[in-house]
Amino acid sequence: MTDVSIKVTDLTLRFPVYGVDAKSLKKNLARVTVGGRLGASTTGATEVTALSHLNLNLRAGDRLGLIGHNGSGKTTLLRALSGAYEPDEGQIEVRGRIAALLDLSLGIDPSATGVDNIRLRGRIAGMSSKEIEDKMDEIAEFSGLGPFLAMPMKTYSAGMQARLAFAVATAVEADVLLMDEWISVGDADFQKLAHRRLLNLVERAGILVLSSHDAGLLRLYCNKVMRLEGGVASEVKDIRRLDELLAAA
Amino acid sequence: MESGQHMLRTGRRGTLFEFSMALRDLVTSYHRRGLAWSLAWHDVVSRYRGSILGPFWITISMGLMVLGIGLLYAKLFGISVAEFMPYVAMGIVFFGLMAGTINEGCDTFVQASSMLSQTSLPMFTFIWRTVLRNLINLAHHAVIIVAVIIFFGLWRVMDVFPALGGLLLTIVNLAWISMLAAIASARFRDIPQFVMSVMQFAIFMTPVFWKPDAFPDRHAFLTLNPFYHMLTTIRAPLLGQEADGLSYVILAIMAVLGWALTFSVFAITRRRIVHFL
Repeated sequence: MTDVSIKVTDLTLRFPVYGVDAKSLKKNLARVTVGGRLGASTTGATEVTALSHLNLNLRAGDRLGLIGHNGSGKTTLLRALSGAYEPDEGQIEVRGRIAALLDLSLGIDPSATGVDNIRLRGRIAGMSSKEIEDKMDEIAEFSGLGPFLAMPMKTYSAGMQARLAFAVATAVEADVLLMDEWISVGDADFQKLAHRRLLNLVERAGILVLSSHDAGLLRLYCNKVMRLEGGVASEVKDIRRLDELLAAA
Repeated sequence: MESGQHMLRTGRRGTLFEFSMALRDLVTSYHRRGLAWSLAWHDVVSRYRGSILGPFWITISMGLMVLGIGLLYAKLFGISVAEFMPYVAMGIVFFGLMAGTINEGCDTFVQASSMLSQTSLPMFTFIWRTVLRNLINLAHHAVIIVAVIIFFGLWRVMDVFPALGGLLLTIVNLAWISMLAAIASARFRDIPQFVMSVMQFAIFMTPVFWKPDAFPDRHAFLTLNPFYHMLTTIRAPLLGQEADGLSYVILAIMAVLGWALTFSVFAITRRRIVHFL
């Protein structure tokens, strides 16, 4: 557990934007506060610099909150940490099993039954068939969906879908947990359950990186905080100095 | 390295590094082959959910086409039905595998965009998914092949091993074509339309419904058509004939060169594919 770590060195990530006429984008867009910085790459395609020269060191026990405007690069950073985006410069090194809970609908097939979706989503998350069958009861019980698990997901209400997705997503044994803000799903009862499960997971997981706009939530789960603005990261600060970072906005 | 316990992502470090990363993607997809299979199986199941016959509907429609074309063209061309029907049956079924794998290859990455943009799953997994899905479909359509083999007594003359060799070479080639289509389609959205047109053209230019007897052996019109070699190496042995050895050689060379090209393109574009989507 102790060697769980995230080490990000001088990370720069650019998004080439294809299918957009670069000339049609006004240059002053580069200075808006919402979104990353736009600039023309050498190839003539428009590029968005989503993250620039970002450094981050996290060790077991660190629970980092990410704050920033829409489009400041929070989700991009989470996706880069999950391994989906390749850095343009610098390097990302993550030790430990990663669980990225970024999108509840990932790998969900609405016409398949709840049980089938648990299996599919589990496979995508890297569980073996056997692991999934072993955990099936636990997942089913936690979701609280009972007989509905045998029904197609499209018959579920949004809250029920969220319950199932949350139950599967959090069933993975992970050392590093990446979360985009979506904890506020389900009814009050489920909120309580989800909260307990998350705390449990956070304790078990070595590292949590959580992106959120909710200061209360960040104070609840995190012990450190970092602010992103236009892809540039602030220093990592103690959660008690959250107000300072928020005030800087 | 990619054991799920340790992940390292870095900026570009030269061509050799890009190739080693591409190779790692391939190796990881092999270690997680169960996932490709699960996805492929799920695709088939979910496409035909609620349908009683499922993929057999395509089999039935193929069977009907075999019956119609087999009887009609046999009459038009003046060939016996016993000779022509199995020929057309195998032509339609195996060309279906080729067209399916290549056409669906165009959607491979586009369809997987949400998974690719938030997980570190190997990209090759999705290539295998498309290939495996089409092999599952082929397994359904094989009913037609088995039927003509039994009905026309071909089991007495057929030679299974060269046909399996041809099928293997064909699949290896289809896989790289499918992957190349997947990468190109992710970047340029005109490619799927283009590929579909080519495959539609190819079904008429390839001896699927007609016999190449009018051409002298090794005529350029046939030799230059890769689908001809794929089809003939599978079909001829099943019909109790011998496929030209040259076809096997061409398929083998094509597989090596094609994979070298596709793997190079993948190594170079791998970082960008997720941004194409």
